[in-house]
Amino acid sequence: MMLVEEYLPVAIYAVLAMGFAPLAWWASRFFRPEKQSEWRNTTYECGSKPIGEAQVQFKFQYYMFGIIFVVFDLVVAFLMLWTVSFSALSDMGKLWAVVFLGMLLIGVGYALKKEAALWI
Amino acid sequence: MAPISNWVTFANPMDNPLYQFGAVYNLPYDVGYKIWQLLGGLIAWLLDVLVPGNGVSLWLVGNAVSNALALVLMIIVVFAVCFIVNLTMIWIERKVLGRLMDRRATRIGPLGYLQCLGDGLKTFLKEHIVPDKADTKGYMWAVSIIIGSSVLVAGMIPLSYRFFLADYGSGLLIIFGLFSIAPFMILVAGWSQNNKYALLGGMRAAAQMISYEVPMLVVFASVALMAGSFNINEIVGYQNDNVWFIVPQIIGFVVFMIAATAEAERIPFDLPEAEAELVEGWQTEYGGMKWGLIMLSDYFRGYVACALGAIMFLGGWTLPFVDDSFLPEIVFLLKVILLFFIMVWTRGTLCRIRTDQILNIGWKILLPLAVLNLFVVVVLKVGGLV
Repeated sequence: MMLVEEYLPVAIYAVLAMGFAPLAWWASRFFRPEKQSEWRNTTYECGSKPIGEAQVQFKFQYYMFGIIFVVFDLVVAFLMLWTVSFSALSDMGKLWAVVFLGMLLIGVGYALKKEAALWI
Repeated sequence: MAPISNWVTFANPMDNPLYQFGAVYNLPYDVGYKIWQLLGGLIAWLLDVLVPGNGVSLWLVGNAVSNALALVLMIIVVFAVCFIVNLTMIWIERKVLGRLMDRRATRIGPLGYLQCLGDGLKTFLKEHIVPDKADTKGYMWAVSIIIGSSVLVAGMIPLSYRFFLADYGSGLLIIFGLFSIAPFMILVAGWSQNNKYALLGGMRAAAQMISYEVPMLVVFASVALMAGSFNINEIVGYQNDNVWFIVPQIIGFVVFMIAATAEAERIPFDLPEAEAELVEGWQTEYGGMKWGLIMLSDYFRGYVACALGAIMFLGGWTLPFVDDSFLPEIVFLLKVILLFFIMVWTRGTLCRIRTDQILNIGWKILLPLAVLNLFVVVVLKVGGLV
């Protein structure tokens, strides 16, 4: 109940913010022109006829970064908890998080060193 | 209950038993309350003149309706302030860029201030085009969520201890969480447009996101560690009592500003757009009003980035050696504009970087620096120096 009361203005604001763009498009419907032409709805490709689909599978080269990003994002979530409760933790509790972070940093360093050979 | 004829009483909103914010005075709520007292009071009085002694008039100026309408009007006030600040920031950017490039900037209106409104009106009158090959749902939803989340997060930034939507304990976390929805939706938008340029732009946005987000979060963690809280009021109060965090955490400030520039997709990190190589990047198929609102939301995001910088490192709305700073909202906005000026200056100076360069900057430079900053804070905290 307290939470609802505390966040009520944010909730109302969220409705306004999320409705802002659709409302603008809906309102502009009454003012904007509507002219059909042959090329109007084609995919933009600098004046030439588009060739093939764009929704294809292709190789993106930063997958190693993607993997360590997922790992590190989770680590930072733990780190956030650790930071706000820092002064209430015991000395060992403070230390272990630092050790944990240090170990992961070594892992990131290793992954990046290995990645240098993988980048094409 | 005052008689209906005395409708302009301007009662203290904190006397309303339904007041939302406890013992804290809230300026936009007060403005909304006063507007409703004028407006609703006028309606109630007119009704009372037409049909004397009806219940609706009393209900309109009663506590429950006043509170509800004051909340809605407060939201509109907050949005309007955000909007005006953003128009000012667009104007500043165009003026400063014009000066940096030694050319004329905006011309319409006093000092060229109304140019952005003119541009907005122009995009408003443009045709609505959805490409045949695009996935219409993804195409429209992605851009709606990008714009919506940017507007939302801009409104959630408190301008001062009395100008806020809610005094949440999750402060920085919830703001950052909503702030990083947009880069993900850019990937969705890039895919659903079925356009090669847009797809490349979307993939670049993903590459950019995975490179700056972790250093930025580590900086957030070190700020929260030093202040002991995510609550924005407490972070600002802690800085006012001790020292602005820019002094002990200068490394963190630099890392944050670089990461925030990337988050807001501004030059030199605007590679998802990259108009010189990718047409308009992920925005290629978005024309007219959609493009106009995307541009507007870019500035909302720039505002949020600068505001977070001002809150976390420059002491928010407080000034040192001044007891009760005069007009805290203005002080805060001046700090935001100062940071934004630095961003514009960077934009006028640097050129765009490549995808592999931003990955390397993020993981090999920013992350070690952010962790170093965290360790500095841990040492200071354990040593009892802050």
